[in-house]
Amino acid sequence: MEFGPILRSLLRNKTGALLIALQIMVTLTVIVNAIYIIQERSQHMTKPSGLDEANITHILSIGYGESFNAEATTDNDLRVLRGMTGVADATVINAIPVSSSGSSNGYMVEPGRLELAVMAAQYRSDDHAISTMGLELIAGENFSPNEIVRHEPGTARTDTSVIVTRAMAEALYPDDAAETTIGRIFYAADDTALQIKGIVERLQVPWPSADFAENSVIYPEIELDGGNYYLVRHEPGYRDENLPRVEETLAAQNDTRVLRENQTFEQTRTITFIPDNAMTSILSIVVSILMFITGLGIVGLAVFTINRRRRQIGTRRALGAGHIQILRYFLVENFVISTVGVIFGAIMTVALNMFLVNNFDLAPLQWYFVPAGMAVLLVLGQLAVVGPAWRASRMSPATATRNI
Amino acid sequence: MFFYYIKLALLSYRRNPVLSSLMVLAIAVGIGAFMVVYTLTYIMGGDPIPQKSDQLYHIQFDYGDPAISAFEPPPQLTYRDAMAMLEAPFDYPRTATSRFSEAIEPPSRNIAPFFANGRGALSDFFTMFDVPFLYGGPWGAESDSNGEQVVVLSRDMNDRLFGGENSVGKNLDLGGLVFTIVGVLDEWQPIPKFYDLNNGQFNVSEEVYVPWHLIASQELRRSGNTNCWAPPEGDDFQAFLNAECAWIQYWVQLPDQNAFNEYQSFLNSYVEEQRAFGRMRVPVDKRLFNVIEWMEEQEALPNEIKVLTVLAGLLLAVCLLNTVGLLLAKFLGKSAELGVRQALGANKSSLMIQHTIETGVLGTIGGLLGLGFAVLGMEGVKILLSGDIPLDWLGIDMTMAMTTVGLAIISGVFAGLYPIWRTSRINPAIHLKTQ
Amino acid sequence: MLQMTNIGKTFLTGQVQTKALDQINLEVDEGEFVTITGPSGCGKTTFLNIAGLLENATAGQYLLDGEDVSRLGDRQRAKLRNQKIGFIFQSFNLMPDLNLFDNVDVPLRYRGLGRGERHQRIEEALTNVGLWSRRKHLPAQLSGGQQQRVAIARALAGSPRFLLADEPTGNLDSKTAAGVMSLLHEINAKGTTIIMVTHDPVLAQNSRRNIDILDGQIRDDARRNTAAVA
Ligand SMILES: Nc1ncnc2c1ncn2[C@@H]1O[C@H](COP(=O)(O)OP(=O)(O)O)[C@@H](O)[C@H]1O
Ligand SMILES: [Mg+2]
Repeated sequence: MEFGPILRSLLRNKTGALLIALQIMVTLTVIVNAIYIIQERSQHMTKPSGLDEANITHILSIGYGESFNAEATTDNDLRVLRGMTGVADATVINAIPVSSSGSSNGYMVEPGRLELAVMAAQYRSDDHAISTMGLELIAGENFSPNEIVRHEPGTARTDTSVIVTRAMAEALYPDDAAETTIGRIFYAADDTALQIKGIVERLQVPWPSADFAENSVIYPEIELDGGNYYLVRHEPGYRDENLPRVEETLAAQNDTRVLRENQTFEQTRTITFIPDNAMTSILSIVVSILMFITGLGIVGLAVFTINRRRRQIGTRRALGAGHIQILRYFLVENFVISTVGVIFGAIMTVALNMFLVNNFDLAPLQWYFVPAGMAVLLVLGQLAVVGPAWRASRMSPATATRNI
Repeated sequence: MFFYYIKLALLSYRRNPVLSSLMVLAIAVGIGAFMVVYTLTYIMGGDPIPQKSDQLYHIQFDYGDPAISAFEPPPQLTYRDAMAMLEAPFDYPRTATSRFSEAIEPPSRNIAPFFANGRGALSDFFTMFDVPFLYGGPWGAESDSNGEQVVVLSRDMNDRLFGGENSVGKNLDLGGLVFTIVGVLDEWQPIPKFYDLNNGQFNVSEEVYVPWHLIASQELRRSGNTNCWAPPEGDDFQAFLNAECAWIQYWVQLPDQNAFNEYQSFLNSYVEEQRAFGRMRVPVDKRLFNVIEWMEEQEALPNEIKVLTVLAGLLLAVCLLNTVGLLLAKFLGKSAELGVRQALGANKSSLMIQHTIETGVLGTIGGLLGLGFAVLGMEGVKILLSGDIPLDWLGIDMTMAMTTVGLAIISGVFAGLYPIWRTSRINPAIHLKTQ
Repeated sequence: MLQMTNIGKTFLTGQVQTKALDQINLEVDEGEFVTITGPSGCGKTTFLNIAGLLENATAGQYLLDGEDVSRLGDRQRAKLRNQKIGFIFQSFNLMPDLNLFDNVDVPLRYRGLGRGERHQRIEEALTNVGLWSRRKHLPAQLSGGQQQRVAIARALAGSPRFLLADEPTGNLDSKTAAGVMSLLHEINAKGTTIIMVTHDPVLAQNSRRNIDILDGQIRDDARRNTAAVA
């Protein structure tokens, strides 16, 4: 390997090589950080909600006017929905998981100890919640029908039993297995006592980026404030057909209300993740553009330097260099430049990541992204240079004697 | 002479079409991508009310309970404090404002009832924020204090309900109450929606506006963020109003430094007073924020956009490095010729001018192409973001277009500096010796 | 050592055919010093390229050391060039970015010699041309004559049996040229076969064998007994 001469020759033509190395350095910095962000967002976006997502739809009903009777309407709506063909079950709830709107509260294992509060989403629903959402009950029991409270706005709430997620149980009682916390009592911020009746494996909160993404508490309560979300789980295959029928059916029951947001869970997900989706798409485009531009830059400079070195290459050929040796010369040359680029790039990548972490609440990079990015750029460099180098290696040795 | 150089530049492009096109492409892509992101920053983070942004102040209080760890004072006001502020003895324009959502029974039976997004505000709201009117005008201050049921419609709502005709004087059934229409707004969509950054800074402006006191007196359905740090002492609406729950935005217009000082000392003494009652125990750095400060404090410009700006800047840097490399290659490739020319007595500065103009021409072509990329990119962003937020305001205006091309030319010339300097240093003697 | 039978070379440039060489028949023995003359464009360089395996003939047969090289693949031809043949070019063709040491090193690397042997050969070759002390210099820091001496050192370092030179003194003044020529004669005296293209009639007349080419054909193949002045 003629490593030494290549290096010395490069050092004589520092600028061109330096520019490529700088380019590779910045490219590495950007793509590693971008891909890391993409990856982080995608994890967000694909985090399971705990629901039977493929078969669920929801609709919002808001009643108005003096004549509107919230309790009768709710009972009637639920009865009608549950009776529809192709509907597996239906429930009323105060907020839809992953929809980005809902309410949260702080909970404590001792009353009044706000500093110990664990944040969680509060869902208020009935005994059909688990079956409608398709949640997995891992311990304890579901609510019984007569346990469901009908809460009029402006009236006091009483102590009650609740169903929590595994994550919530573990957050409240970090030292105990979730399954063993059945029957324990914890407190809401207003010191209402809550007894754990059941534990479900998973139920996401409405805000996917919250740091308490799986801390949920389900209350056995129907809030009679006129606004109801109905969650409907359809039999497999019935969802799309049933979606318009849900709205038609409810509209036919009562005309002193407005129906909104009749959508599938998949649509809810899409809407919630519009910004994340936009971010990952834009970042993917940035990464592709960068790889493309850097690749083109390497090709352009390689073509140029090779043209400039035609006579030199011819001379090498005349002195006994075979195709392979010429090819290898340029590949090694590029490898040396790229290696310098990715080494400094690795440092800059970590620096930029630290900057982003400090300024924009990003999580720090996992270490293996850096070597992976370095490898990708080294390969990109080799791929970019192999074409021009191949053409150079095909150059006739007679070039040495012709005056071009 | 200038045109002669331009001609030389174009000839030079033709002589090295691949290398030149690569440079143009690099500049175009870099500038295009950068401008898309920069335009987002420019629009989303721009000053939404430049003529007044340094006079309009949002109030922030030292809310919270020190016992709750990592509690940040919420950016809105409680009902109690909002009322106290309104009663303060000042003549400065001010408004408490918050959102609600109520059913509208349209006058025409052909339209089904629907829920509209509403805003409660004081009459000063419209003059403070320079809200444009199409018909009628704001309600008077006496309507605020008397709790009159008057309403201002957005232009879209007026189009929807009255087919766009002048509806001033007509009645509107809103939330089961009858309101008199006093005004219709023209298009009004500040970006970001600086007067309420708590409820989606890019959301559509509200569709109906009513005197703010009605929200409490008529118990309109409040919507928007509500942040409590102590449970209400009771379960009824009055208990909620008295509770430590922040849900009201409060703005005051302070025309000059004296007014600012006066108001600030008023706020400071108010907070002292409240401390005596055991309230306001989480100190804040600052209690009055002008529009720009408030946007920064509330991070109105999404972090995503800031991250993208950093990355797009680096992308532009790569493209420029690329261009520097290719220009260097191109110019040094001509160095034999330049050496000969210099040996023949060519003037160094004229060669430098020639090259500078050549890079300027490359920059211009790159900029025009980049403008095309930016326009396409912006359309792409709109598609990506299309959801329930209206996006008409996303686009590249004339200023941005000029900036794009200008930046491209500057980038081209900037990228050319080093290569031009290098070529000007070529020693003809050495060059003629080593061919 | 070199035997050409009916060698011809035709270039195709678009539709135009150029017959650069036609019906060349020639034999060169081990140890000879042959000069080649002829007007510009008559085919001298083309002949040298074919003899040095830089180009393939389009007609005829070429035996080098009795081996038919017309049909060899690139790899074998590169190997033969590297081991048997040395080149000296009119415009020196040194690598501008490499110092003298590395320049002489180039063919040795291709031969795959070990570090020690390479070093020894480079030192020997550069000392031979009187430039060992300047081994760290770049070509651009040398005069034309010195550069050509480096090129000769590079050609000699591989101890080829066959040296091809295309107007090696063409770019040099007469005094420097004489120095280069005496170096070549020394080399020839040690047994290396040399074929040299030249424009200089004096050099041609002083050589033991001069081949005159006209329009791609051998016009005259003159052998003399008078040895050139060493
Ligand atoms: N690669 C080529 N393509 C086409 N014609 C060529 C090529 N190389 C040489 N020739 C032609 O072949 C003829 C002989 O050229 P050359 O051997 O270089 O002449 P000399 O070295 O005697 O001056 C010339 O007419 C030249 O134009
Ligand atoms: Mg010739």
